[in-house]
Amino acid sequence: MNVAVMKTKAEQGLLEAFDAVSGKLPGGAAVMARRAEAIGRFGALGLPHRRIEEWKYTDLRSSLKQALPPAIDDRTPVTIAELIVALGPLAHLDAYRVAFVNGQHRGVLDDFGEASGLEVRALAADLTAAPEKLAPGLIDPSEYDGAITALNTAFVTDGAIVRVGDGVRLAKPLLVIFVRAGREAQAVAVRNVLSIGAGADATLIEAHVVLPGACQEAQVNSRSEVSVGKGAAVRHAKVAVDSGRTVHLSNWDIWLDAEAAYRGFQFTMGQGLARNGIRIGFGGEGGKLDLSGAYLVRGQEHVDTTLVVDHAVPGCESRELFKGVLDGQGRGVFQGKIIVRPDAQKTDGKQMSQALMLSEDAEFDSKPELEIFADDVVCGHGTTSAELDPDLLFYCKSRGIPESEARALMIESFIGEAIDKVEDASLRAALMAYTKGWLAGSTR
Amino acid sequence: MLEVKNLHVKLEDEGRVILKGLSLTVPKGEVHAIMGPNGSGKSTLAYVLAGRDGYEVTEGDILWNGESLLEMEPDERAAKGVFLAFQYPMEIPGVAGLTFLRTALNALKKKRGEPEVTTPAFMKLVKERGQKLDIDIEMLKRPVNVGFSGGEKKRSEILQMALLEPTLCVLDETDSGLDIDALRIVAEGVNALRSPDRAFLVITHYQRLLNYIVPDKVHVLADGRIQKTGGKELALELERSGYAGYTGKAA
Repeated sequence: MNVAVMKTKAEQGLLEAFDAVSGKLPGGAAVMARRAEAIGRFGALGLPHRRIEEWKYTDLRSSLKQALPPAIDDRTPVTIAELIVALGPLAHLDAYRVAFVNGQHRGVLDDFGEASGLEVRALAADLTAAPEKLAPGLIDPSEYDGAITALNTAFVTDGAIVRVGDGVRLAKPLLVIFVRAGREAQAVAVRNVLSIGAGADATLIEAHVVLPGACQEAQVNSRSEVSVGKGAAVRHAKVAVDSGRTVHLSNWDIWLDAEAAYRGFQFTMGQGLARNGIRIGFGGEGGKLDLSGAYLVRGQEHVDTTLVVDHAVPGCESRELFKGVLDGQGRGVFQGKIIVRPDAQKTDGKQMSQALMLSEDAEFDSKPELEIFADDVVCGHGTTSAELDPDLLFYCKSRGIPESEARALMIESFIGEAIDKVEDASLRAALMAYTKGWLAGSTR
Repeated sequence: MLEVKNLHVKLEDEGRVILKGLSLTVPKGEVHAIMGPNGSGKSTLAYVLAGRDGYEVTEGDILWNGESLLEMEPDERAAKGVFLAFQYPMEIPGVAGLTFLRTALNALKKKRGEPEVTTPAFMKLVKERGQKLDIDIEMLKRPVNVGFSGGEKKRSEILQMALLEPTLCVLDETDSGLDIDALRIVAEGVNALRSPDRAFLVITHYQRLLNYIVPDKVHVLADGRIQKTGGKELALELERSGYAGYTGKAA
């Protein structure tokens, strides 16, 4: 028997929003059919809620109170100088740059210099001109069935399509910037399709930032699909820093070919509710994954990291380290699943999730899962939550360091262990600068 | 001058009384040793001087240069020149030794209204003072005390003392866990800091340390009070006869 579930106000709002804007979304008939199908799928699924295992600690159905109007064909003026301000510590990065304002490519803010072997296009243009050239996510829906991805497919306006040629070594990181601007509370849906050729070497950084004075509320749905070619080396990071009231729904879908070395990092700060979904699949032997993240949570903020590492082939290595600092009534969630399929002998997987609790009202939920179907593997996971050690604070204070500085020193050192996983020194410095700013009390 | 007056201290948690009317005076320029059996209250005295939480002063006072320390936070005491070399120096994972030293030095300078130390000047200072204690810069690039041997931890305490230049130095069982060579290095480090405007309180269970750091006075602490005060020869006497005469039982 089918029971018709009452739609929440937000669910109803999302369906209505689609009807209102679908005619203005980019893409020809084929893309439109995909969008219609996706919103239909969302209509059937509804928003994910706590009775769905992967959403056990993040009940989006109850916490998303309303659907904000989608940003379409945005014209909010943003100057380079304003973009620099929005980038904050990230502005110091010496990087190629592609910029999107409220989910729409803004070519005047781009900066490529002469980057040979690097191809960057706006998704919106391809949706209209050549949808068949896009990655499976937009063309073949069969492998993605989640409600968040369905919403992304239905509403996506733009994003970066990046191709790094075989054997190309990018001289500088590519910074893909999504900046929020303007006074209206809006919903933004973007999708990146990043493909790194065999033997290539590249650093890709996604930055979700906000202009000072922009509306504090927003709903962002960001999806990145990354394929890493045989023997390629990729550093990939996402930095999502906002004003503390935004909803940030992110999905990374990563596929690694044989011998690929992939380092992923996610930094989350000032998000009212963030859900960082990460899915990584090994497609060939000898792949190496080093995935880590740091998040800073205060007030009533909520940051959820839910990842699945799928060892489908033998002889791959995976490492995860996620660290969160939780203050106020903040909540951190970590769900990490490592699947080792029957063929995936000689898998080496290790996972660690740690929280530092600065308040008695903060909450940390951690759920590591190992699903091992092969017998010759080395796998382990761990999780810890702790408060600042009063003995260490005394030790610091006895050397003349005031309490607030001693606390900051210890919090920085805690989170620094995760940030140290970032290879790029200027990105590391930017993330530490964000952390110091957070400790000093400002969100951005 | 350090003046401890009729100090009564109990443990906040269990309510057990540890110090029962301890009085003591250490003038500047002097080194005083406190010796006593285990459980006599030696470490409690050290922690109360530095301002650690968990101890309640029920009676008496501690004056440093005429100013009461009791209401001051540990970092304020440090700014007044108080330094405690810990019996068990703590490990701080993730904080590099150099960062820790520099943060402490600059915090103290800020409180004293002095300009912060520049990077080249700081590095020169650390190299110079570290060398005397056989501490390499590479060692200080590692997290504070993490993975250090007992001797390395004690030398690193003395290096902190040499850099922060306190005027009241309290050494809590600095000799424990040291072999004879490490003991000599540590003692030389301490002796190098002896000066007319610095007071030392050296807490130890054994006389051995006092062969290297020769005290002006020796106090015997037992059952929460100073039982006897004498010259350096008192330490030798204790070495021969033990603490039995002070506690009523063999120590």
